[in-house]
Amino acid sequence: MKIISSYSIKGGVGKTALAVNLAYAFGEAGHRTLLVDLDPQGAAAFYFRVSNAKKFRMSDTPSLSSGLRRNIRESDFPGLDIIPSSLAYRHFDIALDSMEKRRKQLRRVLEEFQDDYDTIILDCPPNITLLSENVFRASDSILVPVIPTVLSQRTLEQLEHFFSDEGLPLDRLCPFFSMVQKRNKLHQNTMVELSAAYPQFLKTTIPLSVDVEKMGLRRMPLLAYSKAGDAAQAYRTLCGEILSLQENVCD
Amino acid sequence: MHEYSAVWVLPPTLTPTCLSADWQVVEQRRTVTSCTFYDTFEWGLWFSGHLLYNDGNGYLLQAFSNGWPETIECTEQGGGKRFWYEFSSKPMRRRLRTYLGLRGLAAVATGAFVTQYCDLRNESGKIVCRIEWSCVADEPGKDACFTSCKVLPLRGYEEEALQVASRLAELGTTPSGPGPVSLLLQRSGHTPRVYTLKPAFALSFETPAREAVGRIIATILTIAESNRAGIMADLDTEFLHDYRICLRKARSLLGLVKNVYPAGETERFRNQLGELARATNRLRDLDVYALTYYDHLENLPSPLHKGLARIFSRFSAERKREQRRISTHLQDHAGSPTLNDIIAEISNVSEHADSAAAFQQIGPLVFKGILKRYRKIKAIAETITPETSDEILHQLRIACKKLRYLMEFFNELFPPDESQLLQRQLRRLQGALGDFNDSSVQQEFLLGWWHKHQAATDSSLAMGGLLTLLHQRRKESRQQIDKMLKEFADNSTAATFKRIFKLHVAPPKNSRKDRLQ
Repeated sequence: MKIISSYSIKGGVGKTALAVNLAYAFGEAGHRTLLVDLDPQGAAAFYFRVSNAKKFRMSDTPSLSSGLRRNIRESDFPGLDIIPSSLAYRHFDIALDSMEKRRKQLRRVLEEFQDDYDTIILDCPPNITLLSENVFRASDSILVPVIPTVLSQRTLEQLEHFFSDEGLPLDRLCPFFSMVQKRNKLHQNTMVELSAAYPQFLKTTIPLSVDVEKMGLRRMPLLAYSKAGDAAQAYRTLCGEILSLQENVCD
Repeated sequence: MHEYSAVWVLPPTLTPTCLSADWQVVEQRRTVTSCTFYDTFEWGLWFSGHLLYNDGNGYLLQAFSNGWPETIECTEQGGGKRFWYEFSSKPMRRRLRTYLGLRGLAAVATGAFVTQYCDLRNESGKIVCRIEWSCVADEPGKDACFTSCKVLPLRGYEEEALQVASRLAELGTTPSGPGPVSLLLQRSGHTPRVYTLKPAFALSFETPAREAVGRIIATILTIAESNRAGIMADLDTEFLHDYRICLRKARSLLGLVKNVYPAGETERFRNQLGELARATNRLRDLDVYALTYYDHLENLPSPLHKGLARIFSRFSAERKREQRRISTHLQDHAGSPTLNDIIAEISNVSEHADSAAAFQQIGPLVFKGILKRYRKIKAIAETITPETSDEILHQLRIACKKLRYLMEFFNELFPPDESQLLQRQLRRLQGALGDFNDSSVQQEFLLGWWHKHQAATDSSLAMGGLLTLLHQRRKESRQQIDKMLKEFADNSTAATFKRIFKLHVAPPKNSRKDRLQ
């Protein structure tokens, strides 16, 4: 079982769009996939028309994993289940805080799902908290959408420093360019600079597109309804790149 | 299948829109399949929990439980197959060989299945349940005779599936039931029934002999009669095989329990049954050759295969002619009494004149007969040496057959465990004697055939191979006879026979079976 997270310190960079489409693509490719919406905004679950998770209290369940298990919802698409978000998930931090070895608990909890799923995808909230640290330690790959702007560059650097300070393996970070405007000179220059500084950048870039915005209206992954659009094609290529990356890692 | 999955039998006029007040019903794919279901005369597939059908593209072998189809076990393209060995895929052949044996497949029902797959969406447009709405009709385009709905819950939406089930229940549905295939079989007039050559006759120790014998004969001749249509249609060779066994058993019983009918009538019945059986002798011989062809092919070296094929193709041509002749014979009877005539006459206990044993209790007669037959076998066994003639072995085979028939017919009167052991031993001995006899008869037949026909060189070569093979088998079964006979005629088996069947006192009012238990 592989755990992949979609993470960025910065909000509004296309993190949820990636998680949702990647989960769809993995399911479509025959992986038994679980998408865990860890972002209290609940956008990932919204895209799948899944309502919020039931109120989640540690005291109500024998373990964190059984609490999560109770909230699994089958999506409309084959091979893809979702654990929707809930504001109650803010208690996640508290729950983890009360546990021993609290920075590694999420991996242990998620490993209990390894008979049920081949891939778990985590859609993470945009911050660095105890939950984020757990995500970093739990994930085999951390996909980081980066808008080619100065601010995004800064957050990527911050993330890299955090990894170095905490002794986390840097090779787990897989940044890629998101919401790219082809004709924007600043974007072009930043992309050249960042690609040189971070050779692990994924090859595929995701363009800024109104099609992605429309996911909110259609309430389904872009890949489920668009075949020919630029954004859909880019997501499909990106998912293919990540899938082959995972398969190579598996080999 | 999900633990909440359930199949609901619905009123045939209901459609999926009956759920649209509570959910948005979105139709997905629809499949329309016309199927022909196959099984054997013995319902070998049905009783092994399988359905075999052809959907127009090929065969599908599917497990079923409580009348509802479950997993598809294997498939094969094509059609028009009757025997297991006509299928080409290994998994299909392996399974069908077990379920069909020598039996041929025949169509038992047809049905047109229309399945509409639907998603049920909630107010947010999320799929909360899936359903498979199936309608079954006798033929495509006809009104549905059976409608069912399979409710397929989604993980995390079990409550919604229960709501769907509850809504269906309100609309007059019932959970599960006998399933669509049972109904189609019923509508086509083919209801699976257990077929056996060893039925129970509900006899007791005190049943009057004529009543007991009449009941047994009528029952087994009814089984023989049920095979007649299959012989005429030439569905498989087992119809004739079973038909002949029944005739032989009935005829034999009249000789085994003597004087239950006036002597003249017994003789007449025996002659009539003998005549019916003899008419089919040649066809049975040719059936045996047809059945052994593949066996011989495996055991003879490949240079002889061409000649073997030539010989067997002549047998096959003769078999076709003989089968047509028998078919006509069974249809018009040519003035001789039919099996049904014999059954009617023999069943009418009071219409026959009195005879010595007619109203005696059957138990003592049978027990005495069994001991007498066993002693006869034991006496022959004591004279058997490696030089014993085939004629003596033939007598031994007949004596064994008579004993086995008696023990089979009146099985209900004995304590089951011990008599089953004796019957097992007897079956093994009879098997070896049968193999010996078959090898001898076949050798004789083939030699006769070879002398009569101007066989080509390759056929002569194959004939030589066959005769060698049969000679070898004859020798092997001869050794088996000695081994089995030693076991069957030893003092311990003799003591068991005596303990079970020797009547020391006058038979009690209760059945012998009860007393022995």
